[in-house]
Amino acid sequence: MKKIYFFYSFILLIALILSLRGLQGNPNAYDLNQSSWKENGPFELSPERGRFTLLYSVIEDHSFYFSDQLGQFARPDVAVSKGRYVSLFAPLLSFITIPGYIIGKYFGIAQVGAFAIISLFAFFNFLLIRSISIRVGANRIAALLGATVFLFATPAFAYAVNLYQHHISTFLILMSIYLLLHSRSVWSLFLVFFLCALAIPLDYPNLFFLFPIGVYALGRTITTRYQGNNFKIRFNFVKFITISAMTLPILFFLWFNQVSYGNAFQLSGTLPSAKRAPLSKNVTSNTSLESQFAVPTPPVNAANNKSALGFFKTRQMLNGFYIQFISPDRGILYFSPVILLGVLGAFLAYKRKVKMVPLFVAIIGANILLYSMWGDPWGGWAFGSRYLIPSYAILSIFIALLLSYWQRKIWLLLIFIILFGFSVGVNTLGAITSSANPPKAEVLELEKVSGLVQKYTFERNWDFLRSNNSKSFVFQVAARKYMSAVQYYEILAGLIILSGLSLTTILLISGRVKRKNNK
Amino acid sequence: MNNLRFSINLKNLQKVVSFLQNREIYIYLIVLSVVSIVTFIIYYTNGLGLSYNDARSHLDIGRRVVEGLKPGLAQLGSVWLPLPHILMIPTVWNDFMWHTGLSGALVSMISFVITGLLIYKFLKELGVGAIGRLIGVLIFVANLNILYLQSTAMTEMLLLVTMTATVYELLLWFKKENILNLLKSAFFAMLSTMVRYDGWFLVMFCIALISIEVYRKKGYKITEGVVILFATLAGFGIFLWFLWNQLIFKDALYFMFGPFSAHTQQEQLEIAGNLATKGNLLFSIKVYLFAIAYNSNTFIALLGLIGALILWMDKRIKVSLKIATTALMAPLFFNILSLYLGQSVLFIQGLSGNTWFNVRYGITLMPSIAIFIGFLVDRLKTLRIVTIGLLLFVIFFSFTSLDATTIDDAKVGSSQKNVSEVSGWLNKNAKDKPGFVLISAASHDAIIFSSGLPMSKFIHEGTGAYWEEATTNPGHWARWIIMRTYDNQDMTYRAVSKTPDLIKYNMVGKYPFADIYELKDDYLPSLITTPILGKQK
Repeated sequence: MKKIYFFYSFILLIALILSLRGLQGNPNAYDLNQSSWKENGPFELSPERGRFTLLYSVIEDHSFYFSDQLGQFARPDVAVSKGRYVSLFAPLLSFITIPGYIIGKYFGIAQVGAFAIISLFAFFNFLLIRSISIRVGANRIAALLGATVFLFATPAFAYAVNLYQHHISTFLILMSIYLLLHSRSVWSLFLVFFLCALAIPLDYPNLFFLFPIGVYALGRTITTRYQGNNFKIRFNFVKFITISAMTLPILFFLWFNQVSYGNAFQLSGTLPSAKRAPLSKNVTSNTSLESQFAVPTPPVNAANNKSALGFFKTRQMLNGFYIQFISPDRGILYFSPVILLGVLGAFLAYKRKVKMVPLFVAIIGANILLYSMWGDPWGGWAFGSRYLIPSYAILSIFIALLLSYWQRKIWLLLIFIILFGFSVGVNTLGAITSSANPPKAEVLELEKVSGLVQKYTFERNWDFLRSNNSKSFVFQVAARKYMSAVQYYEILAGLIILSGLSLTTILLISGRVKRKNNK
Repeated sequence: MNNLRFSINLKNLQKVVSFLQNREIYIYLIVLSVVSIVTFIIYYTNGLGLSYNDARSHLDIGRRVVEGLKPGLAQLGSVWLPLPHILMIPTVWNDFMWHTGLSGALVSMISFVITGLLIYKFLKELGVGAIGRLIGVLIFVANLNILYLQSTAMTEMLLLVTMTATVYELLLWFKKENILNLLKSAFFAMLSTMVRYDGWFLVMFCIALISIEVYRKKGYKITEGVVILFATLAGFGIFLWFLWNQLIFKDALYFMFGPFSAHTQQEQLEIAGNLATKGNLLFSIKVYLFAIAYNSNTFIALLGLIGALILWMDKRIKVSLKIATTALMAPLFFNILSLYLGQSVLFIQGLSGNTWFNVRYGITLMPSIAIFIGFLVDRLKTLRIVTIGLLLFVIFFSFTSLDATTIDDAKVGSSQKNVSEVSGWLNKNAKDKPGFVLISAASHDAIIFSSGLPMSKFIHEGTGAYWEEATTNPGHWARWIIMRTYDNQDMTYRAVSKTPDLIKYNMVGKYPFADIYELKDDYLPSLITTPILGKQK
């Protein structure tokens, strides 16, 4: 079994490496502003540029303030504080990826090094989902399948090969869950609180997703029991003070805010951003559309009336649910239908009183509800619903449980493998092409401006691929000489689907053998 | 030393719990009352309390019964069903109660408190524990649309309380088979038929449920008797309404097909192409489901649906009770049906252009949703804390984002008309001068209310001989005329435009919703400025 596990994991790691986006070279600020690095390259969207700008500025310029060239590169998602460009994003991702940047720079692939850190966390998430699934009662093969679903059959794949915060947020959630499952020691509790606090400077909404974990961990400090006519409550003071582990990340966060914005309690998202320029009339190619929002204009000090809570409005929830679940431009139904099997798994796990189900439901609930109330449930120009990546991870655990409970039901495995194949096909497409898919709502305007038919589903990625384009680093530096982008895609997706199919077959056979032995 | 230990004596704890349990209903009563009063004060002080023009019209109808050129019960009219206005009569005579809207809001506030208590009692009857009951009431109370509607002189809260009471008593009857509960249910159903036409559908729905239940248990003969008993009392309000229309307007169906009826208004909307739900069942369903989602919050509505499904599939709940609880869904069927038949109109921003209209109709399912969620929370034992947490999470954001569709409906939707220019002009120029204002209450009730002038200053279509005289010889009777010039749907214009007297007036104001005419000084000596026609029949 161990051999299967290592071999399978190794194959999937290779698949992840083959999908990693990037270009060769160590770009400077001037290079970064060229379209080969921006819209046509690995920094196609402003969230990636914003995070990389801070990383670059810290390492190369030793400053939290961006030079004008870097400010232009980060537009439109760059904040203005006291007349200077500063990051509009929570800072931690930029700091975490520094080692990758430095190592990559040594080999002449600085950007790839930074992106590889995200892939590394994505792979950690794969391992954590497997481990957690086993600990809550899943079969080892089903656990491996569940982990594969998360990494390759959801939009998490597309966000494992570029510079977004989602995989690290998911890692903090999964690691905390793992620690809570693994040990009841003081040190594990200390680490959980540390991770919970660390999640905030990574991405502010993490506060809500890790809040249930924090409460659960806090519950560990109290034990209750009945004794005769008395109800006894024991409060473990030593465990309680592990909450102090939150201090360090929070101090880092406050320090960063103070240095960057002159106010320790100023959240970057609430700063006035550099004004967006209108869509240019000379939009021609599919890939350069998003960048048209980023035409340089002088910074405008917009009125600073943004409030952190003001971003979330319950009125938007109906539209948010539609976008996240059933819309053709972002919906799970179109991009990752296999993950919906997790709902069935959750129901069965609830019925079987599986440990931690309430915590899992709380995390999924907070994730879905929060981003359904968010003003931009599309996640800007994106591939699939990127905000739900933490939910995909938890639902993958439920899929592992479902496959364990019903491993002998051929119809279920058949449905699973069909949905898995479709979802892997769609998400591999997203991973090796582009995440720059516009929301449906913007398409008409774009068509008017560009005079071209604009697609907003994964068909847009397919068109990109058929034009022999891929943003995969390996494809661009090596494979391009030997095969077309479509062939590269077919090999990669085929490899993942075949791995999943093999594992499903093993799962079915092992289930039948087990039943035979039991008889 | 590492541990801090506490010990609670279970007997003492039990005493505290039973003390609270014995007084649970009073605690709810006090809390609901405090919430109700505080919310009214908030909406009164921020000026939103009377945003709906309909709220002002309701207050005027009540006021006309006790004050005006021709006071009396006939002023209840036929535009709206009479109970809300009848309940205002004891207080609306007072200027403060009238102009603050408190006279109407008081009815809504009391209804709010009682509906909260009914949700609590309903859940108790379903065997729901204290936490489920608390959450059920909380879902109802912590809804900004409910809080707004309970602070204003609209009819929704009165409808909710009468309908919820009907279903609650019906549930008790299904459970205990005590005829008194059936009679109480019929009584509350009768009250609901005098609030809104939703009540009429509820009566039919209840009759259907009673028929199924009694026939299932006792056969046809008993069913016939029970249905007649229920229908006689429950349908009495409907009978009275037909009778009223026959006596006052000489046509029992005047409320249905008269010039101010919903039917006539919907006909005009249909001609203008604004009645997209008529004949389109799927769109009607979509529009109403959106209205529910916007009123109760999408997540809460979804949980309510899950709660309903769990209730109806729960093997521990008797079939009778399941049948009774389906009455909670009556508003859903009624609203979809009336949209489909073109009997009502509801605009959702995004679905029906860029405006809201009557979106508050979606609130009628709120007590039902609260009950279903209370039940759900009770049944989801291991997920109870998580469910409560997620509910609080959403409620928190509904408050931080001040999400009240009903206020938007009132302030920016089609329900609002900015009448302040005309009413402000009247208040400034007509308040201290002798003479009457000729105006159509059907078209401009909000102006009458907002002007701050006494009702006896206005000659409107409900003032009998005054109206007839003034529309024939306006120059003798009306110092001011308020009307939409060239709009034949404005009864004042329709009548006055046929007289030669209009040249005696100067147009002193032209506004989007009405124009103001003032009698020229030369004609003032012959103007009648006091009510000289005496008491009219």
